[in-house]
Amino acid sequence: MRATPAPTAVIVDDERLMREQIAGRLKEAWPELVIVGEAGNGREAVAMVGSLEPDIVFLDINMPEMDGIKAAQALAGRAHLVFVTAYDQYAISAFDHGAIDYLLKPVEPARVALACRRLRERLQQKPAPMDELLEELSQRFGSSGVKPREYMRWVQASVGANLRMIPTSDILFFRAEDKYTRVQTEGFEALIRKPIKELIDELDPKEFWQIHRSTVVRVDAIAQVSRNFSGKQIVHLKGSDEKLEVSRSFNHLFKQM
Amino acid sequence: MSTDQPNPGAASAAPGSPPPLQPPGIKQTFRDGWRVIVELWWRFFDWLAVVSWKTLLVVYLLCLILAAMLHRPMTFFFFVIVSVIIKVVAGGKRRAELTARQATQRAEDEQLERRVLEARLQALQAQIEPHFLFNTLGSIDQLIQTDPPRASKMQQSLIRYLRSAMPQMREGARPTLGQQIDLCRAFLDIMAVRMEERLQTVINVPEGLKSAVFPSMMLQTLVENAIKHGLEPRATGGQITITAEIAGGQLTVHVLDNGVGFMPKGNEGVGLANIRERLKALYSGRAELIIGVPAAGGTCATIKVPYEIAPVTA
Repeated sequence: MRATPAPTAVIVDDERLMREQIAGRLKEAWPELVIVGEAGNGREAVAMVGSLEPDIVFLDINMPEMDGIKAAQALAGRAHLVFVTAYDQYAISAFDHGAIDYLLKPVEPARVALACRRLRERLQQKPAPMDELLEELSQRFGSSGVKPREYMRWVQASVGANLRMIPTSDILFFRAEDKYTRVQTEGFEALIRKPIKELIDELDPKEFWQIHRSTVVRVDAIAQVSRNFSGKQIVHLKGSDEKLEVSRSFNHLFKQM
Repeated sequence: MSTDQPNPGAASAAPGSPPPLQPPGIKQTFRDGWRVIVELWWRFFDWLAVVSWKTLLVVYLLCLILAAMLHRPMTFFFFVIVSVIIKVVAGGKRRAELTARQATQRAEDEQLERRVLEARLQALQAQIEPHFLFNTLGSIDQLIQTDPPRASKMQQSLIRYLRSAMPQMREGARPTLGQQIDLCRAFLDIMAVRMEERLQTVINVPEGLKSAVFPSMMLQTLVENAIKHGLEPRATGGQITITAEIAGGQLTVHVLDNGVGFMPKGNEGVGLANIRERLKALYSGRAELIIGVPAAGGTCATIKVPYEIAPVTA
């Protein structure tokens, strides 16, 4: 379609100074290249590539809204990509085995010249799909893909009139009380609306055990377990005098080895 | 009576029977024996001091049986009376001494443990992110071409930041809130150049509080978190506000941002956990880190430590 078209490029970075720097270096290394647009995050970049259809996209990795890896997954096959990154040891090792070129910030003129030479050769071909590499990258960054299940590490609760984030490692136990669930730490208690039934699904089962229909205790906060006169198991805690009853259906948790 | 009479006789006869062995010195043997007796006496004394009355009663009962068998009621009563007097008069003092010694030992151990722990944690807290360093150098590089005076200013901020953030630069005197604010200001100046209108900073700390003792790098971690997890993920950025006050005898420092807010599931790295551990090690329960959720959104991180003026160093 394009008659002896001048190659075009879009620069994507969340910092203006970085975009300027890349643009400046490119101008020196490849005067014919036309920078048709600049974007500040991945989402903008995807939209811009859709409307401007550049040949090349220079893409930062760490960006707000949508990071460079996700943007690359959306852009793969539509433009030749070059990643620009400050320091990403995982990414660099992945690039070294892959088809995508990369530049390190602050970008050096000699390195930009090399990247431009490679791009000029590759412009004749269609952009590679490189799904595999991007999948690997996204896993290394943990930005998407299959991740180990994430459990609740903080509980948002009202303490007096204030809302607080309480780390789960500070919590001794949760206990259902009327409409609320009480969150007890060594120093204070707080109330949340989430019922025990829902909590137990979100808490790490290695960190918290349910010992009663209305009680969930942090395993590391247990000082000892005793039996009362009627044979019920009673959990004693570190850092609190409160004693928690273990209901029969959870007795197996504390069975003697 | 008649049964135990021969025994002392036999005992006194025994030393006489091997005369050739005697020369090494009766005196020496006597002295050794005396030492053993003294040692045993003090052991007995210590035991008496710490033993419970219940156990003592059982011992008396056994002695009573023995005394009855040996027909020595007077010896028994003498033993009981003397031991009770010793236990009552000296036992309390002795017991206090022993517990005091144990407590001192434990306290020393704990303090040493705490100091080692704090040193280790502090080293961890000090990590300068390579990402930050390279990005900043990149910005300076660009400014050198377009705006040299600003490049120079930014470089000076970087130098100030590195100077106080390098672990080996932080040894010696106790850090003050003023120093920590200066460090954060250097960091925020750099980030403001890079993020431009996406970052606004307000630092509102009374001059009088700047000489207060405040642990190193904690404020810095909170500010970095506010930017990284609060403002950077948002295209429009936001504002960071640092304030300090004295509340209930505690120095209370807040780092407030109006960014995306705290993620309950996000494991935001070791920064906050590290602060918690360090506060425990440094102040054992008299300091805390609170992560608050302001009604207007964003995150408010608060550190409370006992208010203490840093000693003036010449």
